[in-house]
This record gives sequence, structure tokens and C-alpha cells, in this order.
Amino acid sequence: MPLLDIKNLTLEIESTQGWIKALDKVSLQLEGGEVRALVGESGSGKSLIVKSIVGAIPEHWRITADRMSWKGQDLISMSSDARRRIMREDIAVIFQNPVNSLDPSASLGEQLMESIPDHLLDKGWFWQRAAQRKQIAVKLLHKVGIKEHSKYLQAYPSALPDDICQKFMIASALAASPKLLIADDPTRGMEVTTKVQILKLLTRLNKIRGLSILFVSHDLLAISNMANTMTVLYCGQTVESGKMHQLRRRPLHPYTHALMESAPSFRKDLPPKSPLATLDGTIPTLQHLPIGCRLGPRCPRAQRECVKVPEERRIHNHFYSCHFPLHRSLK
Amino acid sequence: MTALLSVQDLTYTIRKRQGWLGSEERFTLSPVSFEINAGETLAIIGDNGSGKSLLARLLVGAERPSGGHIFLNGQKLDPFNIKQRCLNIRMIFQHSNESLNPGLSVGRILEEPLKLNTQLDARARQEKVVNTLKLVGLLPDHQFFYRHMLSDGQRQRVGLARALVLDPQVIVADEPFAALDPSVRSQTVNLIMALQRELGLGFVFISHNLGIVRHISDRLLVMQKGLVVESGKTETVFNWPKSEYTEKLVMAHQSLINR
Ligand SMILES: Nc1ncnc2c1ncn2[C@@H]1O[C@H](COP(=O)(O)OP(=O)(O)OP(=O)(O)O)[C@@H](O)[C@H]1O
Ligand code: SF4
Ligand SMILES: [Mg+2]
Repeated sequence: MPLLDIKNLTLEIESTQGWIKALDKVSLQLEGGEVRALVGESGSGKSLIVKSIVGAIPEHWRITADRMSWKGQDLISMSSDARRRIMREDIAVIFQNPVNSLDPSASLGEQLMESIPDHLLDKGWFWQRAAQRKQIAVKLLHKVGIKEHSKYLQAYPSALPDDICQKFMIASALAASPKLLIADDPTRGMEVTTKVQILKLLTRLNKIRGLSILFVSHDLLAISNMANTMTVLYCGQTVESGKMHQLRRRPLHPYTHALMESAPSFRKDLPPKSPLATLDGTIPTLQHLPIGCRLGPRCPRAQRECVKVPEERRIHNHFYSCHFPLHRSLK
Repeated sequence: MTALLSVQDLTYTIRKRQGWLGSEERFTLSPVSFEINAGETLAIIGDNGSGKSLLARLLVGAERPSGGHIFLNGQKLDPFNIKQRCLNIRMIFQHSNESLNPGLSVGRILEEPLKLNTQLDARARQEKVVNTLKLVGLLPDHQFFYRHMLSDGQRQRVGLARALVLDPQVIVADEPFAALDPSVRSQTVNLIMALQRELGLGFVFISHNLGIVRHISDRLLVMQKGLVVESGKTETVFNWPKSEYTEKLVMAHQSLINR
């Protein structure tokens, strides 16, 4: 049984033009111990999926799904207490831009100790518990590769570089020993050596502790380094998902293909300064979504059928939603 | 042949006093020198806070250097002649979003520098605006649009159009691709390369994206703590890095590619 299982998740947002499907039949599965990348351009709905999973969607939006479960338990119908408990014990989230998600007015040590759940502490007097918290905090820091803990526990977020703050975020996410870590664009804007450190840390946590990771990003280089599997999102629709190496070597959906071609580092045969492959046009806004396949107006393979939303099809564990996938020749 | 842009021993020192009688903190950009020819691209890489953005600001004349000289086509640029600088060396900002005035139409945004810096009359300005929009792949109609009506990629194009409208010889850009999504990013990269071929533009840009740096730049400047630790032809530096710091950056990048 998969850890996380989402089938046809649809999220509707009310706007001046009526209800808009910000997410349209999104499917996503994650097994224990898996590192899955969730890829898509800005505004494609990645963070909305994360919010749907953690239950941070405003009440007045409409959320429906054929299935949305955590270890077989239905997340949508469960009581909010039960759901909060899962979020506290099983699923942890870290966000892009660590400095903004930390409290600037408290030291990193205070924030980290606060994230340690009470049930991990033995019963005792409050001063004993404070000492225990400190011990656990130091251990957590060692786990994320911060050895000079005394130097950083007193420090405030603004005084420290990005990677240290992000490591702190990861440390407090690990405090409750979650099964799943959702990392929403954790390396955005980071310089390459810093980025590599964070990626290595996440990979190690996955290998050693069997932590499952949902890695949300549009940094293809980072993704292909981290993930075993990948789900590609375009304008709120899942267009393709499967094994990382399959999607890299042989994408079936025109969008995935364009995405892979857009990273010059993936193409060793590319002569310097030659034009990069790209799709015409830009991502439509939510207010101007095309009907049917949302890639339609930008897709080089589009035909008349594409005004109907393509059904999801599969070849073994490789899923795609396209009327004219790349392995079929066009009429 | 004289270089299009030649920078010789450019230096800059910032002093910040911390508190009453506090210690003086200094940041020094130590002598930077480089040259680029028409149509060439120079990339600047390095840590946050290594002085890359400062160097960009010195090039476009937003800051005055403490020492050194900048030559354009062999002619020394006067640090006090802002107009001459504005006409020839133009800047594109990282977040075109913040740098475009939401209250002005795209047409007005592009017309502003023409009014300030040229003698063109209203009709000639209008013509120039339309031509520049076409040059960056936008439509004449876009002059009537306001910022909120444009997508990220279109905003980036307007930022580029505003830089190009004065027919500069060099464009300087601070992280021009970072805020762009993959498909739009490739479009912008292609556009800049095409403009360089057509107009012989020199392009200086700062980036963390070593994949793009390697693909489009001819020369590379590696900076660390205000110091140029390495410079040279991009391919040479990537293949045979000399400084330890450059080697670390290149290895980190390679380790991401070769998994
Ligand atoms: N509170 C909201 N009200 C209205 N629309 C929203 C709201 N939050 C998000 N959206 C819209 O939903 C779409 C998806 O947003 P989301 O934040 O999931 O994008 P994303 O894929 O995470 O992008 P990024 O890579 O920039 O983080 C966007 O078009 C966004 O404008
Ligand atoms: S369904 Fe049609 S428009 Fe959509 S990706 Fe496939 S070919 Fe292109
Ligand atoms: Mg997001």
C-alpha cells in the first residue's frame, strides 16, 4: 500500500470569473522510502498540492478527489483532530526561503527546541525537561550535519547564511521523526555548493532513515540528482509521471520533452551558444486557461482532439495524459 | 582591434561603522580588470556577497568607483557623465516585476528613457518604442498594457526592451534568468543570443546557473569576497579551473550533472 495516494484531486477557487479549477484531476502516489520529485513551472499548482496534503486550504474553496489517503486512511473524511495528529507525527514540511519561514525574533535554538514534541521527553521537573530538549536539539543538529551547535543555537536567523537556516528547518522538521518530508522548493536561489550540501543531506536522510521525500522544485538538475520518480505538472494538470531515468531518457508527453530539453546541462552534444529548444508562448494565467489539454495553444503536436482533456494512460509504471504522445507518429 | 568594453583596475571600498566608537567594517572590491569584444558575453559567478552586484552597479554608473577606469571602444568613460553611460551601458534587473512601474503603460515605460536621453520628437519616439517591442518578440499592442496584464516572461521582455530602447552597446544583467521558469528562460536566453548576433551587443551577466553560464558565455569571472579569484575563457575555466574555489564550484555543478 502506498504511503500517500492521491487520485483525481480537483481544487476549485472562486474568482471574479466564477469557479476555476486550479488543480484539475491531479494524481500522485508515494511509496515508503521513495523520493518523488514534483516538477512544474511557477504557478502550475505545486504549492497548492502541498497545501491540500497538509490540509491548509481555505474553507470556501472546493476540494474533491476520488482518493486522497495516508497509509490507507482517507484524509478528506477524517476528523480534523485525526488529521492534525498525522501532520504532527507523520508528515513534516519545509518551505522555500528558510529565512522567511523562521521567526526573526527568536534564536534558532529556541525555535528548534520548541518543535520537539512533548511525548519525546521523559516525565520530570521542568528544568530537567529543558535540559532534555537541549540534548535532543543538539542531536538533531548533528543529524543534519551541523557540528558547531553551540555557535548556532544562540544565533538569530538573519545573522546566518541560507544553508545553515535551511539545515535548521530540516532539523526541526525531523524532530518528530516523520515518515514523509515534503520539501517545497528548498534550494531555490541557492548558490551551487550550498545547494549540493542540502541535496546530499536529504539523500542521506532518505538512505539511512528511510525517510520518504516529496521534493517540489523546478530545478531540473537538483531533481534528477535526488529523485527516483517524478511527477510533472502543467497548469494544474498532471501530464506525466514515472521513473526519473525513464522520463529523462524517453519522455512521452510533449511538455516533459520540452522541459528536459530546456536544461543545457542535460545535453552534452549541444554546441556552445546554439539556441535552446523551447515552447512558444508563456504559461496562461488561471483566468485564461485553455479548454481541454491546457498545453494546447503552445503544443507543437496539438490537433483538433486536444480540446478534449486527455485521459490518463499507462505503460507499466509510466503514466501520461496526451492524445498524441511522442512514441506515436502523427497522422 | 580595440575591445568593446575594457575595465582596468576597478576598485571600490565601502566603510560601515558599527555603533558608537564601534569597529569599522570594510568591504573592498579589489582591482577588477577584464575585456569583452562586440557580440561577446561575460559571466560573473561567485558566492552571495562576493561583490558581483556591486561590480554590475559600477559598470552601469550607479556607483562611482574608488579607482580604475572603464573604456568603451577605447574611449575612457567619465564617471560623472551619467548620460553618456546611460546611453551605452544599460542594466536589466533581476526582478523585472519590481522594477516596472505598475502605474505606467509599457509604452510610457519605454518612452521615458527616450525623453530623458534623446532629442527625438513624439513621432520618432513612438516609432522607436514599437520597433523595440518587435525586437524583443512582443507586439505593438503591448505598449498599451500595464504590468499586471503581462506574464513573467513578457515582463522580462519589457525589461529587456527598456534596456535596448536607447541602442546601447553593452547590457549588464543581475541574475536575469533566476526568476524565470524553464520554458520562458530558454526563450529569453535564445532572444539575447540572437540580439547579440544581430546587433553585436556585449552582454555581462551574473548568475548561479552554471549550466546556462557555460552554454552562453565566452568569458568568465569568478569572485569571492570582493576578489576576482579567476578569470578566463569559459571553456578553459570549466575544464581546467586554477583556484580552489572555482574548482569547488565546478565540481559541485558536475556532481549534479553526472549522477
Ligand atoms: N490564495 C489564492 N487565491 C487565488 N489564487 C491562488 C491562491 N494561491 C494560489 N493561487 C493560484 O494558484 C496557482 C498555483 O499556485 P501555486 O502556489 O501552487 O504555484 P507553484 O506551482 O507552487 O508555483 P511556484 O513555483 O512559483 O512556487 C497560481 O496561478 C496562483 O496564482
Ligand atoms: S493532448 Fe494534444 S495539446 Fe495536449 S500535449 Fe498532447 S498533443 Fe499536445
Ligand atoms: Mg510554490
